[in-house]
Amino acid sequence: MAVCIAIIGKENAPKYVACTEKDQELDFHYKVHSSLDIIEEKLSATSLTKGTDLREQCLGLLYATEEHKIYGYVTNTKIKIVIVIDANHTGLRDNEIRAMFRKLHGAYADAVCNPFYIPGDPITSKKFCETVHGLLVKS
Amino acid sequence: MSHPDYEQTYHHHSTLLILVKYLGDELSTKSFNKIFDRINRINYVKFTDGGGVPRNIWARYIKDYPVGNNDWGDFQTHRRLLGLITVGKCKTQVDLNELCRKHESLKVRYNSTLYDTRCVIFGVNDGESTPSYTPPSNFKSRALYFASDGDESAGLEDQISEYISSLFWVLESKRHERSREKIDKVSLLLAPFEKKDFVGLDMESRSNKKRCVGRMTKHLGDLCLQAGLPVDALNHYQAAAETLRSINDLLWLGSACEGLSAASMCVRFPNMHKSQTVQRNTSLQETNKTKTPTSKASSSGSEILEPSSLQLPSLPHNVLSNEEICKTYRESIIHYSKYQHAGVIEVEVCFKAARVAVELNMALQAASFLQNIIFITLTLPEDEKIKKLMTLSDLYGKIGFQRKASFYQRLAATKYVSARNPQTNWDQCYNLMLQSLSGHRLSLDPSDYPAGGNNGWGRLQKQVLQDVVVAAKRVGHSSLATRHMTLLLQVMWSELSPQERHESAQQLQVIAAQCEGSPIPLILDSGLVIPPANLIHIPTAESFVVHKLRSQFQPLKLDKIKEDYGPFLFTPFKFGSLERNTTSKDKLNYLWVAEEECEVKIELTNPLQFELEVSNMRLLTTGVVFETLPLTVTLPPEVQKYVVTLTGTPKEVGELEITGYSTHTLGVKSNCRLKCLPQISHSQFTIEVVPALPYLEATLNIDSTKDQNGSTISLYAGESAECQLVLENFNKGEVELIEISSDCDPSMLSYDLSNLQSQLPMKEGAKITIPLTVFASGNFVNSYPTDTASVKSSLISGTNSFPSLTSLKPGQYDTLTTPTPSFRSGPSSLNSLTSQLTQLKLDHASKGLVECRLKVKYSGKPGIDSGYCRIATVVLNVDVSNSILISNWDVMPAETSSQFYMVLDVMNMTDQEIEVKYTASKSILIEEGEPCRVPIPVDRCPLSKIGKFFQSEDSIKEVVDLNVTCSDHIASLVEVQWEMGERKGKASLKGITLSSHMLDIVRMSPINWEIWVNDLEPNNSTPHIVSIGECIQIRIIAHNSLSRPLTDLSLSVQFFQDYRNGTCNYNLDSRLATSGPSHIHLPVVEELGSAVMECCTVFFNPGQYKMSVQCSSQGRHTWKQMPPVEFDVQDVA
Repeated sequence: MAVCIAIIGKENAPKYVACTEKDQELDFHYKVHSSLDIIEEKLSATSLTKGTDLREQCLGLLYATEEHKIYGYVTNTKIKIVIVIDANHTGLRDNEIRAMFRKLHGAYADAVCNPFYIPGDPITSKKFCETVHGLLVKS
Repeated sequence: MSHPDYEQTYHHHSTLLILVKYLGDELSTKSFNKIFDRINRINYVKFTDGGGVPRNIWARYIKDYPVGNNDWGDFQTHRRLLGLITVGKCKTQVDLNELCRKHESLKVRYNSTLYDTRCVIFGVNDGESTPSYTPPSNFKSRALYFASDGDESAGLEDQISEYISSLFWVLESKRHERSREKIDKVSLLLAPFEKKDFVGLDMESRSNKKRCVGRMTKHLGDLCLQAGLPVDALNHYQAAAETLRSINDLLWLGSACEGLSAASMCVRFPNMHKSQTVQRNTSLQETNKTKTPTSKASSSGSEILEPSSLQLPSLPHNVLSNEEICKTYRESIIHYSKYQHAGVIEVEVCFKAARVAVELNMALQAASFLQNIIFITLTLPEDEKIKKLMTLSDLYGKIGFQRKASFYQRLAATKYVSARNPQTNWDQCYNLMLQSLSGHRLSLDPSDYPAGGNNGWGRLQKQVLQDVVVAAKRVGHSSLATRHMTLLLQVMWSELSPQERHESAQQLQVIAAQCEGSPIPLILDSGLVIPPANLIHIPTAESFVVHKLRSQFQPLKLDKIKEDYGPFLFTPFKFGSLERNTTSKDKLNYLWVAEEECEVKIELTNPLQFELEVSNMRLLTTGVVFETLPLTVTLPPEVQKYVVTLTGTPKEVGELEITGYSTHTLGVKSNCRLKCLPQISHSQFTIEVVPALPYLEATLNIDSTKDQNGSTISLYAGESAECQLVLENFNKGEVELIEISSDCDPSMLSYDLSNLQSQLPMKEGAKITIPLTVFASGNFVNSYPTDTASVKSSLISGTNSFPSLTSLKPGQYDTLTTPTPSFRSGPSSLNSLTSQLTQLKLDHASKGLVECRLKVKYSGKPGIDSGYCRIATVVLNVDVSNSILISNWDVMPAETSSQFYMVLDVMNMTDQEIEVKYTASKSILIEEGEPCRVPIPVDRCPLSKIGKFFQSEDSIKEVVDLNVTCSDHIASLVEVQWEMGERKGKASLKGITLSSHMLDIVRMSPINWEIWVNDLEPNNSTPHIVSIGECIQIRIIAHNSLSRPLTDLSLSVQFFQDYRNGTCNYNLDSRLATSGPSHIHLPVVEELGSAVMECCTVFFNPGQYKMSVQCSSQGRHTWKQMPPVEFDVQDVA
């Protein structure tokens, strides 16, 4: 499924980044980082249309490169979740992506509920890591 | 077409392409550029054609055009080079000929598409001032001659606009020609790479016919757009798109779609590009008068315009909306992408589409168009790739995608120095790297970073900064490399792992070896200022403490101003001025002294795995002049909280602000400001520096003949000793004022200051000696007898050594010794009493080792003028050991009424024999540990001291006060002196307590007795000689000497015989008879009044008799007449 999963904080600083291949880690960082531009654009576009309190949290496909597709999701507290999917993985349906995001959101909420977690810090929760690694492709 | 033109916009579809070429080398490049700018300004001409339709004609000037691009002219007519302007300057005929030749040869190159040409020549054939030559015969073009390229070429603009109109008319005629062509006669238009595709195909087929028609219609659309008829063009494009779609001619369909979008944009925003020439130079505005005045309203195209604001009131129905434009562009991109040879066209259309989307404010669309460019594979040289990336970055920047923009900037930067690039250019690479910092939320100024960290994408920021360092290093600017590396270590510290920190630090050391870093801003050639970066984490300051001066150096105010704290012991409100509260936030409440070395303690942590040498550590201060001493320290690897002390000397008086410290480590000089240090909560420390003060050192000179060591004196209680206080002025100015005080009991330490004032002012290096007398005031009185009754009973029941007591009748004794009811009434009064008594006891508790602090307050110029002084403190320890102790005491009436006996049990507490001298003439030797009882005659406490206590004796306070007064009275009179070999001392009775019975003896009786026997003058000293059977008249007058009446008074007379062995016989019934009352009761005796009692007595037997007269008041006090009246009864014979 996913090759890289990133949780990005409100101020657009990464809180957690995990990917399958360690040697490409910096590549993924760049990809996720530049996808923030699109997330921000999409957010500002929706915030312009007033009266829609129920914002769509799943932003869908942000952009695609030759190797990867990048999907985004934003919580109501502006925490961004980005999933990078291998472009060859064509069988993935939209609601499967949504399910992944929801699962990540839940795991994130659980991690943040820890009273010893200081909001804004990188996430180190073991349980959260397990959930994320469960979603990453075993290669 | 070899490479795309990245600057293409939709607007270029409607322009006439004109090449402006620079010929010869007479004209400087600069003046050519000036000419080009002037020509470029004439890019818009407005006509009204024969049908009354206004035409807006645009020209696009370029400086270079590959011939290959001209081949695409059939595919898209705006790619055709329609005009040629050459610019040259000449002086001779030969030059002129050369220019003409070159012009002609250029004409030949673009011959297939050129409509008309101009040759602008400066320097000849213009008026009389210039030489006149004739161009060669083969020169067929129109030449424009100007005398010079300056003011004298004013006609150039008119000529150019005339030239554009000539081009237009040719174009217009071509358009008409094309539009009149018969449908079945039209030829097939081909894109350059298509030529071989159609070889051998049936050109007469139906689909081919359609293809021809479709392509021609599209071509017509192109021409209409160029000729200023966008609405017509729109129709043509739409028709062409339909036709071409039906026969699947995708390449041309793409082109038609592209044209459709471009035409729609042109229709909707006709004035968009009119003012690209905007009056950069206002003096040239006059030449632009041909333009419409409305041109000012439009923008330079870089801004995103609100589409609606510029829409024309009536638009043709088939014009495309924003979304449709994007959709059509997308379609055209998809169609182009199917042709490998159309890559260049595809890239260009992507850029055009992106720019359109930018203008329409559709960022996401623009992003997707730009994203698409990356997928198009073109083999391009590196410099073209860089151009492409920079254009991408620029466009991403325009839609606010700063991260993408930075990414492409960085990519472009790496292309400058890639292995494939034949001319690596590190300068460009470095500049681009710097520009890309902002997109990663990086800045060169460390103060831009928030204190909390966690700003932006640390992982990437680290990488980006590292790359900048590498680029700076390769540029050869090692000071920049050092600066950037320092910045990396400063701002990315929290992101770096320990290993990375270590590596980075080592790297910095290597770079800084070439050029030392220092905290001054660097200015690049481009004018960019690179602010200083500091190594605030190497070493890390864990704490920063501004030390007080050591206590002997601390300045103090001479006169303490009593601060008003209001009526509350504690209050959160600050009385007085509020501003004191605000200013004192970082202000330290202690003082430094000018010219005095002051200290700041810093705890440093070395985060690195190697030994760190930090040299030249100094304090950074503002405010008054401060001379700081540099410190060099070597921190062991990974040491935690290594304490270093920075010292310095303030040179002036005023406020000193300590803002941080500077270091020099790893080859970098850093200024570590406190406000930048996360571990330190203060942003600065402010400390007041007061004027310089002299310095005195005080020492104690103890007489060493006794076994004394250091500042300790061992004394027996009551002993005294001499020692000396030596004050020495250390060379810091004269001392003008000395005050000495001590915090211990003044009775213990006394000093003689009589000589002191005469020795002031004290010169530098001078010494003053002050004699001190130490007296070991000890506790000699054992303790307050907890149970007076038991003491008494032990005294009484023991030996009969206290005859006064036994002489009392048992019944009376009880009333006397039992404490008065009020004395023990109620727990509360008891408590208050006991507490007072405990206090009494504590005052005289055994002292043991007593610490005396002698404070020498001194001051001198200049500090004395501002009211500051210093205090030198010496400590004198007095070890007091017990000498004698008074374990018990009692009082006895003496033989006279003015005195009483103080009977003391004196105990020798030392381990030596001691001689106790208890009165002026009497002394006794006491063995070690032995007790001894001594009587001391003491004057009774006069009424003047205690008279007031007779008034109301009910309150406990009065009882206690009376006790204290009497005890003080005794203490002041009695002084027991002791001698032990050479040592001697004295013991006071301070702290002795007295029971109420004792008090009656101690204090003077308020009753004065007058006893008349047989009407003789009172004479108590000699016994009255009477004979048996004689009736003796006794008249007793009791005078009340108090200033108030005594109530409930009873007077009594009793005879007794004293056997002088301690027993008295009161049972004298058979030996005498008394007539008249022996007791009378008086309800009241007025103040200063008297009571009289008379009786007669007859003695039956001879012998010695005594008569005691006593008076008791309220059953509480008993006063006896002392001594008793004696009778010597003799036989009648």
